[in-house]
Amino acid sequence: MEFVNPEGLRLDGRRPMEMRQLRAEIGVVSKADGSAVFEMGNTKVIAAVYGPREVQNRSQQSNDQALVRCEYSMANFSTGDRMRKPKGDRRSTEISMVIRQTMEACILTHLMPRSQIDIFVQVLQADGGTRSACINAATLALADAGIPMTDIVTSCSAGFLNGTPLLDLNYVEDSAGGPDVTVGILPKLDKVTLLQMDSKLQMETFETVMQLATEGCKAVASYIREVLLENTKQLESRRGV
Amino acid sequence: MVGLSLGEQTFIKGGIDQDLRTDGRKRLTYRPIFVETGIIPQASGSARVKLGATDVIASVKAELGKPNPSYPDKGKVSIYVDCSPTAEPSFEGRGGEELSTELSSALERCLLGGKSGAGAGIDLSSLCIVRGKVCWDLYIDGLVVSSDGNVLDALGAAIKAALSDTAIPKVQVSANAPSDEQPEVDVSDEEFLQFDTSGVPVIVTLTKVGGHYIVDATTEEESQMSSAVSVSINRLGRICGLTKRGGAGLHPTVILDMISAAKHVSEQLMNKLDSEIAAAEACDEMES
Repeated sequence: MEFVNPEGLRLDGRRPMEMRQLRAEIGVVSKADGSAVFEMGNTKVIAAVYGPREVQNRSQQSNDQALVRCEYSMANFSTGDRMRKPKGDRRSTEISMVIRQTMEACILTHLMPRSQIDIFVQVLQADGGTRSACINAATLALADAGIPMTDIVTSCSAGFLNGTPLLDLNYVEDSAGGPDVTVGILPKLDKVTLLQMDSKLQMETFETVMQLATEGCKAVASYIREVLLENTKQLESRRGV
Repeated sequence: MVGLSLGEQTFIKGGIDQDLRTDGRKRLTYRPIFVETGIIPQASGSARVKLGATDVIASVKAELGKPNPSYPDKGKVSIYVDCSPTAEPSFEGRGGEELSTELSSALERCLLGGKSGAGAGIDLSSLCIVRGKVCWDLYIDGLVVSSDGNVLDALGAAIKAALSDTAIPKVQVSANAPSDEQPEVDVSDEEFLQFDTSGVPVIVTLTKVGGHYIVDATTEEESQMSSAVSVSINRLGRICGLTKRGGAGLHPTVILDMISAAKHVSEQLMNKLDSEIAAAEACDEMES
């Protein structure tokens, strides 16, 4: 199948190095301590953060740092064909773990000992890149909850199809079987916290693909920072400062 | 989990006694309702309903299937509700399953009528394509994103809005197929059929707190309830389904009283919902 046509356009009309449209909104679940919606094209996820609060399961309590927990779930209607999978299958358990580890790395857990932070991500629409979208949504929700972090984490994926590195794969490109590199970075510290790849890729190409994904992360970071700034300005004006 | 102090409990109950609730509403007033349609492009129809801080999404997906042999000229409709942990941390893992099942069965009872589909809000015969061979299966999925009480009414409203947003593709059946084989069908991707949703009822839940009953209870008010009656009422003012929750017993006359109150409230809710759905659809069309 041809994923990049001779004019250099992808199936959805994007250029190889172009990202899908981003949209984010903070404070969508009023009952949660922090929440956000993050959209990358047709992929749409909601993240809600509860905490820091008392540890529910005493045996998990730690005296020197906060307990971070994460659950990833997909709505039945999120995929093209209706999903009938039960909750807690292996894929969602794995993604929950990935998100938990990524977020744990940037939260200053030592400031909140004997407490628990819950991150719940719910996929409303899946069109490739749910992993990245979930991490971006979780970052925004954590920031909304006012949880201390070293930096925001942003994530983006990139692939390699038809001899071209492609940024931010959608579902069709993702299921083509080519390599899919998901990168998560701490933009300000310029550190990589998440790196995953399916399938194989030559060493030299891997470098360019990863570079591309990192560039994507930086673009996401600047968007997220804009959204956070806008949100803070709104809060400020509501308070009448 | 709602942890209320004794003072707060008395405040809520006292307010209800005096017909002035904690958020300033009267006993039989709904919170402002907000409807958005067409939010899930992959579904045949979808809607999001916000009722105060309660936020639910409903989606309708149509798939080709085979009718039940007992009812060869009827399509099939099933309702599944999922409670997302974003709404309440206790829904994590399998924690929301109990509530999900309760809500799904309450919705099926209120909207789908009997096993044969008699009395259903949706005309099941309109879903049949070839008698005994092919029909549409409608999968209605509800998702509770945020919960602040009265989730059932919100889901009922969301399903009603999603159904009126639903477009089912027109189907051509090849005429020359032998009668004993599965006929070939050609699903059009240009022409769509809309549903007649005028018969879909609305659900009104009356929650009894102390000596009075209220509509559209918040989580705090629900924590003080003794029992709740959910009535689904269609446009003609007929009762389509009824569910009672909560342990406390109710005097039959109180139930009848509640039903007549529900009927009165349902008229306003139905009109409000219809205008909201019409506005949401107009807004959706403008965008597309």
